[in-house]
Amino acid sequence: MIDTTFGAALTLGQFTLGQFTLGQGDLPAPMSGITLYHYLFTASTMFVLGLIGFLTRRNLIVMFLSTELMFQAAGIALIAFGRFHMNQTGDAFVIFVLTVAAAEAALALALIVLLFRRKETLDGQAWASMKG
Amino acid sequence: MDTFLSPLLLYGACALGGAGVALALPKQKAAPFVFGAILAAAAFGLVMVLLGVASVRAMSGSGDASGGQGAAATARLVWDALPNYHFYIFSAIALGSALRVITHQRPIYSALWFILTIVSSCGLYLILQAEFMAFALVIVYGGAILITYLFVIMLATEAPTEESVEAMNVYDRVSREPVIATFAGFLVLAVLTTMLAGGAKRLELNPAFVATDAPLALMPARVEKVLREAGVMEEGERLARMPSASSRKGEPVDLRTSVAADGRPGGELRIVASDGKTVRVLPLAQWPEELRLSNTERVAMELIERNPASIEIAAVVLLMAMLGAVVLARKKVEMDEMAKAQAAARAREGGELSGGLGSAAAFVPPSVGGNT
Repeated sequence: MIDTTFGAALTLGQFTLGQFTLGQGDLPAPMSGITLYHYLFTASTMFVLGLIGFLTRRNLIVMFLSTELMFQAAGIALIAFGRFHMNQTGDAFVIFVLTVAAAEAALALALIVLLFRRKETLDGQAWASMKG
Repeated sequence: MDTFLSPLLLYGACALGGAGVALALPKQKAAPFVFGAILAAAAFGLVMVLLGVASVRAMSGSGDASGGQGAAATARLVWDALPNYHFYIFSAIALGSALRVITHQRPIYSALWFILTIVSSCGLYLILQAEFMAFALVIVYGGAILITYLFVIMLATEAPTEESVEAMNVYDRVSREPVIATFAGFLVLAVLTTMLAGGAKRLELNPAFVATDAPLALMPARVEKVLREAGVMEEGERLARMPSASSRKGEPVDLRTSVAADGRPGGELRIVASDGKTVRVLPLAQWPEELRLSNTERVAMELIERNPASIEIAAVVLLMAMLGAVVLARKKVEMDEMAKAQAAARAREGGELSGGLGSAAAFVPPSVGGNT
């Protein structure tokens, strides 16, 4: 039994589109034809965008925002895999991702404020002297 | 169908998208953001059209063969695949705003665009039937983390003067090695997507992974309450419990799984009549609707039944982060001399650029016994 819960109730037009039929048992219509690959493509593209942002931007805050993008991409992939396997392990992992992201935001932003007070700049290259 | 999408097309789309992103990143000269964004959007749209065509083809390949091969059947297939537009819309918004996060020159707007990414990811989560995580994401990310970011952006900016409000720092205006980084990133993306395309599986066709009602066996009181309210169970009847009373979780419900007539696995509830002997079976088809587990209940069972340690570890991680943030924030820091000179130089430079005087020098915090 596959439960059609709130997510299915939110989707538009699953019963109203005329002769539309639900394909597989009581699965909500929007899943029909969507593959795991659709979600993995979205997730990997978002991950790569975050990666590029982390590599290219010089502002420390934007660099950390880019890592949050990468976390987000990992979350989408995990939830999609969890839906694919029809269990909730992906959700449990995403809770962990959220925890790590919150911890990272608290620590990294405290560090950024500290670094800003020392150098009066958010430029990551102001700390180039650290590269031995 | 060997692979889901042709690797050549994927490589082409990645090259196009990479060129677009490289153009859109901030540069010394005025960055042609619009042009780059159009290129990246074209690449994204190409892949999305390919995905849509592939999913319609996948449906026609594994769908019912009785539909015939006429144009009407094709139109019907396309029509059936149409409701997928939610995925395409949310995906487009998420990736478009992600592009804006990494290309916007003002960090505060980057943070605001990131909120849009979060919200559209929540849309994707809802399509994937992960409602609990979707709302947790809005609350934790949109409500907590992003607010922290906004606070820090406000804390860690040089106080602008009247003239320099519009001036942007050079490190926001110019990105570092945009071409090489984009090339590397999109090479990773191209390899990743072509690799993944070999094993594209439909999300719905996996009879091995059908959601089970096994957690229901662990909540007999809930099952009995629902059954009584639905009028399925009479007064005096009770649910049959598992024969082995040695389970540490009390007496779970006797929830024997069987295979229903249509081939899907289903459960059976056994109800003991008031005389204590007669047992009648309630097949899956007669279960009341309220017996279905919601996503939140499933997540709770997953977390608390199966991985109880994970919550503890998450709590420890959060506690450590909180302690660390407090320790870091209490530290008094003295600006070193070199940085002071550099800040003054930057202020002069910025002043010349914007036609006003930067006020970085007036922003030196009072230094009380720092560690250097």
